[in-house]
Amino acid sequence: MAGNIQITNNIRKLRFFADEMTQQSLAEKAGVSRQTIIAIESGKYNPSLDLAFRIALVFGVKIGEVFDYEITGENK
Amino acid sequence: MCYQEKRTVMNLLNGIVFLAVYCVYAWSKYQSGVIEPGDLKSWALIMLVFIGIGIVATIIMQILFQIFIAISIAIEERTEDEKKINKTIAANMVEDEMDKLIELKSSKVSFIFAGIGFFAGLIALVFNVPEVIVLNCMFLSFAAGSLLEGIYSMYLYRNGVKNGW
Repeated sequence: MAGNIQITNNIRKLRFFADEMTQQSLAEKAGVSRQTIIAIESGKYNPSLDLAFRIALVFGVKIGEVFDYEITGENK
Repeated sequence: MCYQEKRTVMNLLNGIVFLAVYCVYAWSKYQSGVIEPGDLKSWALIMLVFIGIGIVATIIMQILFQIFIAISIAIEERTEDEKKINKTIAANMVEDEMDKLIELKSSKVSFIFAGIGFFAGLIALVFNVPEVIVLNCMFLSFAAGSLLEGIYSMYLYRNGVKNGW
């Protein structure tokens, strides 16, 4: 069985390449609060699949380009 | 501090004042002997009145809070354009999936604490503790549970929350 899964994201980088899109702007386009975008960006909140797809849609990329995962801890 | 955090802090302060006022009032009544300890009807009436006051106070505080937020946004944005202010307020007040998850997790804490208070009250009754003490313990456990809910909610907003954790 795999160890713990750490979900990582490239939102900061994608915002930069989207003409330095603000967190507020991304929040409005994804239909969430700025607080939620801050939490996702800093890894404090894992979004639902629905929200993850909506964020990817805002940037016009595939979900795998926004979110990725790392396996931490020991494999059993 | 985001809108939801500010609202939680306001509810927390409201809850603390409510709890403190009730404790002082109930203790003074109990000490003065105005109400007989066995007079459960009077105690129930006091609690009902306090619940009513609590609900009215919460509604008034919510209205004042909205006014305060609107004024602070108008000052921050340096505008008197009502549409722009309303748009910013609406953007701040969005309740999304993270808010719902935090609410769900923190209300669980409240239910657990209230449940423990109820259970402790039943056990106290078995050991012949006066009914008025048991009734107050149950009432206070609900109020304290609500406070803990606010504190845990603040903790989750500050430290993050994970799905399924």
